[in-house]
Amino acid sequence: MASLHVTFRVGTADYAIPADQVLHLESFSSATHVPGAPPYVAGLVQVRGRVVPVVDLRARFGLPPIEHSLDRRVIVVQIGTRVAGLLVDSAREVMSLDAASFEKPPELIEQQASGFVTAIAAVTKRLFLIVDVPRVIGEELAQ
Amino acid sequence: MSDRVDLQEFVGAFVAEADELIASANGLLLEIEAANAQGGSKPRAVRDLFRALHTIKGLAGMIGVEPIVELAHGLETLLRSADRGGGTLRRAAVDVSLQGIAAIAERVRAVAEQRSVAEAPDPLLELIAATDAQADRRPAMTPIIAEWDARLTPGERHQLGSALAAGAHAWTVTFAPSADNAERGITIVSVRERLAALGDIVKVQPRVTPGAASSIAFDILLTSEADAAALAEAAATTFDRVVAVSLPVPAISEPAGEPEAPLLDMSDEGPTAIGRSLVRVDLARLDELQEQLSLLIVSRFRLEREIAAHAAQGHDVRRLSEVAALQGRQLRDLRRAILRARTVRVAEVLEPLPLLVRSLARAAQREVRLEIDARDAELDKAVADRLLPALVHLVRNAVDHALESADERVARGKPRTGTVHVRCSEISGNRVEIVVEDDGRGIDRAAIAQRVGHPIDDDRELLAVIAAPGFSTRTVATRTSGRGLGMDIVKRIAVDVLGGELTLATVLGAGTAFTLRVPLTIAVVDVFSFECGSQAFVVPVSTIEEIFELSAEPAMQPPMSAGTASPVRMLERRGHAVPVMSLGTLLAIDSGANARKAIVIRRDGAPVAFAVDRMLGRHEVVVRPIDDPLVKWPGISGATDLGDGRPTLVLDLAARGLVRERRV
Repeated sequence: MASLHVTFRVGTADYAIPADQVLHLESFSSATHVPGAPPYVAGLVQVRGRVVPVVDLRARFGLPPIEHSLDRRVIVVQIGTRVAGLLVDSAREVMSLDAASFEKPPELIEQQASGFVTAIAAVTKRLFLIVDVPRVIGEELAQ
Repeated sequence: MSDRVDLQEFVGAFVAEADELIASANGLLLEIEAANAQGGSKPRAVRDLFRALHTIKGLAGMIGVEPIVELAHGLETLLRSADRGGGTLRRAAVDVSLQGIAAIAERVRAVAEQRSVAEAPDPLLELIAATDAQADRRPAMTPIIAEWDARLTPGERHQLGSALAAGAHAWTVTFAPSADNAERGITIVSVRERLAALGDIVKVQPRVTPGAASSIAFDILLTSEADAAALAEAAATTFDRVVAVSLPVPAISEPAGEPEAPLLDMSDEGPTAIGRSLVRVDLARLDELQEQLSLLIVSRFRLEREIAAHAAQGHDVRRLSEVAALQGRQLRDLRRAILRARTVRVAEVLEPLPLLVRSLARAAQREVRLEIDARDAELDKAVADRLLPALVHLVRNAVDHALESADERVARGKPRTGTVHVRCSEISGNRVEIVVEDDGRGIDRAAIAQRVGHPIDDDRELLAVIAAPGFSTRTVATRTSGRGLGMDIVKRIAVDVLGGELTLATVLGAGTAFTLRVPLTIAVVDVFSFECGSQAFVVPVSTIEEIFELSAEPAMQPPMSAGTASPVRMLERRGHAVPVMSLGTLLAIDSGANARKAIVIRRDGAPVAFAVDRMLGRHEVVVRPIDDPLVKWPGISGATDLGDGRPTLVLDLAARGLVRERRV
């Protein structure tokens, strides 16, 4: 069954998350640093009247930080009652991906990605890594 | 020190009361103007206005703000004459009064902000003094002198009244007997005879004139068809002693006016009426009340637990449970009553709008009708205060940019007069909905899309575009687009400050409606802002014991165990040792080398100081809780917006864990 996914880029890889987890996309200029927060938390931003924590996916995925770029976006996601932002290098497309075509990531990849990637979708020779959003925003913290 | 505090409190009360009186005065002037436009008058509004200015003058006098006293005095004099003249205040006088009140309002602001108060401008004072309340009705009428008013018998009043009703004019002629006059045979007796030939004398009133050549003079009140020159000649006097007077009997001088109201009418005429039974309460005191109530609710939970524990031990707790249940209901009622005490009527909040529309419409040369429909909706005062600037923006845009000129409207088959409609109603979820709607030209989506260079599909996207910071419609606004000026501010208030929503619906050529949905109440906290390691934080004022300057000489360093990450130093403060910690190192954001200020709080009753770089200011802010586990950390109690559109962390310096858990 095909469903809409929001695709984005972090480093050299393309990623996708289910569109029904996404509230909206925002441009990003800066976030308020939160002392004591995990290192992959970029900080807090204010979007549409909400104060939202932002996870820097470069940091979360073990990539070096990049200089300020106009392409960076915050994808605001909602998982249950939690609302958080994912800071990505760029985000443009909404694509229809068929879950039936998803493949399990190769074992070496799965180990290295510490569970952040649940599946891989191949679309016209492009690979999209399907991201486990609850895990990325630290579901274990909410316990 | 303590009297300074008292004076401050008094100044606060003055500002609050003056603001209210100014708002009420402006409202009354608009009422009077509306009545003038229909050829009527509002004697009662004139009298209320007089009382408002009298009160402002008295209050300003008490705290010694002379410029306000002078302005209020001038206006009061003008209005007294209007009141005595039958309660008519013509357009010229309304304009001057509005100017005068604006000048007073400006000075009240200065007092509120502890700036120096500008002198009352002489030209304005002169203008007020020279203004005739009844100008463009009966020229050169002055009010009847106070002596007459007090001394006329009902019979004389009636005589005067019927003569005036028949079209005669009333005059006061002053005759001063002198040796010179007596030599020529001119005495009060001969003057009486000569004046009686020209009209009907109502009363002759002798009075003593201090310091003049002659020590006695006669004021003669008469009705006459003759002109001032003839009367002056008859009384062997000069023009300035012949004065046309009006009469303080509204029933006769103002047949179209309202029946005279008793002077101290306490009836409720809505929010503009003065003398309504009101007590002004500092919002902070209501907050305190609410805080106490929450403590009470907590202790009630304990009570219930105790009762349950007793019941578990087999005791009979029925009577106790009954009392507890009763108390629960009473607490709920109390909570509701406290919430009610914090609310203001939306109609009251919107009071400045008519005046705004009036001046905007004049400046933009538009014909505008403002309709306000707030029914009985109420709002938390804290919300109302923040909301008003947004509404002012929307109404301003509607008049300045959305409404077409009268000719343009007629050409488009619309009524000449444009309408701005402000509606307010309570909706579900403890929210109010406020709609500002105009029947103007609507926003041209295509024109704006062209301007920003990407397509705009619907009103939602359009709003996002025009509410983007820095979006200017200056070139488009007046002709093609309709508006958009300052929409980023409106959106910031509605969404970021109040946590509400802003939506837009526009139809090209037919009009635009902005809808704000905001919560009825918000939690407002008084905070200090400060900087630490180039990051701004705020901390609630109520938690702070004191703030002091760190001296150049470093604090003492007591012994440290190995591996202490953020050392606790020590200072002497009023004969006691106070531990000092660098907040920068505690939060791991800074070395603490630039710390110049110490914020002292109490932890378990003992003072603890936190060194920060510098203090920034004091604000009243809306605090949003931070509860996401990603950013939940001891000492961080929430986030707020200091006006830059980004979150600023609210710290709870007394929080458990802030100090201990960070010393890794």
